[in-house]
Amino acid sequence: MNSDKKEPVKEMIGFLDEIAKIQTAIADFECGQNLNIAIISEPFAGKTTILDVIEKMNSEKVTRLSFSSIVKSKEDIKIPENSKRVVIIDDCNFLYERKIGGFENLEYFLRSVVTSSNIFITTWNLYSWNYLDEVFNIGDIFPVQIKLPKFTKDQVKESILSKYEANEIKFEEDVEFEKEKVFEPRKFTISIKPLEKNINIPYYKLNYSLLKVRLLKKEERVGIEELIFEKIQHISNGNPGVAKIIWNKSLEYPIIKPSKINDVSFNIDLDYKESFVLFLILSMKSINSDELSEILGPDFQVDKIIFRLSNQGLIAVDDVSCNIKPEALKSIADFLKKLRLVW
Amino acid sequence: MAENIPVELPIVDIWTIINSILVILIAYLFIRAITFILVVISERAGQYRITVKMVIPLLKFSIYGIAIYIVLKDILHLGSEQLILFGGLLGAGIGFGLKDLFADIIGGIIITLEKPYQVGDKVKIGDYYGEVSDIGLRATKLVTPDDNLVSAPNYLFFTQAVASANAGAPEMMVVIDLFIDSDSDSVRAIKILKESVATSKYVYISKKRPYTVLMKDFPFYRRLRAKAYVNDLRYEFEFESEVTRRTWIEFSKHGIKAPKVNVMEAGTLSKAG
Repeated sequence: MNSDKKEPVKEMIGFLDEIAKIQTAIADFECGQNLNIAIISEPFAGKTTILDVIEKMNSEKVTRLSFSSIVKSKEDIKIPENSKRVVIIDDCNFLYERKIGGFENLEYFLRSVVTSSNIFITTWNLYSWNYLDEVFNIGDIFPVQIKLPKFTKDQVKESILSKYEANEIKFEEDVEFEKEKVFEPRKFTISIKPLEKNINIPYYKLNYSLLKVRLLKKEERVGIEELIFEKIQHISNGNPGVAKIIWNKSLEYPIIKPSKINDVSFNIDLDYKESFVLFLILSMKSINSDELSEILGPDFQVDKIIFRLSNQGLIAVDDVSCNIKPEALKSIADFLKKLRLVW
Repeated sequence: MAENIPVELPIVDIWTIINSILVILIAYLFIRAITFILVVISERAGQYRITVKMVIPLLKFSIYGIAIYIVLKDILHLGSEQLILFGGLLGAGIGFGLKDLFADIIGGIIITLEKPYQVGDKVKIGDYYGEVSDIGLRATKLVTPDDNLVSAPNYLFFTQAVASANAGAPEMMVVIDLFIDSDSDSVRAIKILKESVATSKYVYISKKRPYTVLMKDFPFYRRLRAKAYVNDLRYEFEFESEVTRRTWIEFSKHGIKAPKVNVMEAGTLSKAG
């Protein structure tokens, strides 16, 4: 594997335009124009990576703050008096709680931003940002809003392979992949409440990534390497962090085969309260059960709901917190959009 | 003197009747099946639920129209003269007592085409308020908040104002009134109510669907009125209840009190007077 010499270039893959925009805003700030920046994306999409690059590129003039859990005290968000002119703050979604009285720290922070002579470069979870922008119009305080783009197949490939030497990874075609079907048989369950019965209606689901792969293969005779990254890009929905996690799960170093890349689809079955808890976890990316209980109050059986979410493979629970499972991210966002919990 | 032209009536035997009934029955079953499938699809369509349900009455009227056409043209083999006779008989029928039924059917067609409300909307027709569960040939069915099924004749559309709370959108505005004592801290109360609305699990806020809290001073108490959109009109009452409950819990923590009962009564009496 490569050494860290390549790091800055590697980290910039797919984000060149965004980094250029931020550098321009910093340059404008030097000329007297203060345009605070919000970098917005869904979890795992590379917000912190961009901040790392910006910090490296401007190490002389940057002060950095990071939050890893919900901020409880104003002391934690006080900008140090000796701070440099560019203030970078990661994961600003930890500045609020969705409950009555849960916005005091955010309001304090926003007041600090508008009264400060520093420029603020902040990162926000997309779902928290959308909520706060509708409720508090926080977009007015951060005029430069950078929404991170989805990666193309080539960007996914470049970003994943950048940590390996040329020809280090072996891409192998396998029999199982050839056996995969373009139309996969599935069952759609309809419950008839008066009869208390479920009817399973068989149907065929189009395996879009496989179809695309087959068409590409026929028309352009593309190598197996391209086919593998096409599949990873499709499953990850262009999210670089998710793509890397899928890659790591599928790789049997140094060999990767198409059949090892699993397109997991989630059949989410949650009631409204459980869905709301899932939304809270999604909008924070990571939150512990005590914080959830504090936000939700006594109406919610938080432990039971966490158990249900974990059972359906939507979240991972460790000793510290509940985290969204990267491979479930797209299914979760689609499900919550349907319920209009995600705006 | 007008000359009487004899009109040959179609031969109606038992098979003609059976075939006609069969066509109507097939149309009915077909409508039931399509309605069932579309309802299942709409429930999975999330924010597009009402858009999918909008198609149901349109399909219903089209299928019944086709079925009647098949019965008249292909089974009864009615010619133009017979159709005129049929029209005359129908006119007489309408004059003698089918007037309301005919008005209902025309009302149903106009409701389907003009869409003053749609299946899934929350509407007020006459004295009844509820979610439209079906727009039929004769009547519109509403499910009231108490889970009563009300059939409102379609002709009411011609004679009464019909109010649709959401006009085809999945979200609808909910108005929540809370009354507090005049001595309570109303600034804090407004802030709490605002946050209670904004943090509700049922709320929907966007640039087009903003939320607001207004205060009105009465002689002995103050009214706080929150106006906000619920993300799915089915949660209208849950939204109202949740906001009210959470707000009062928070009010009590901050010493914000409800007006005394006799004061409320005095206010009502003075208003009535």
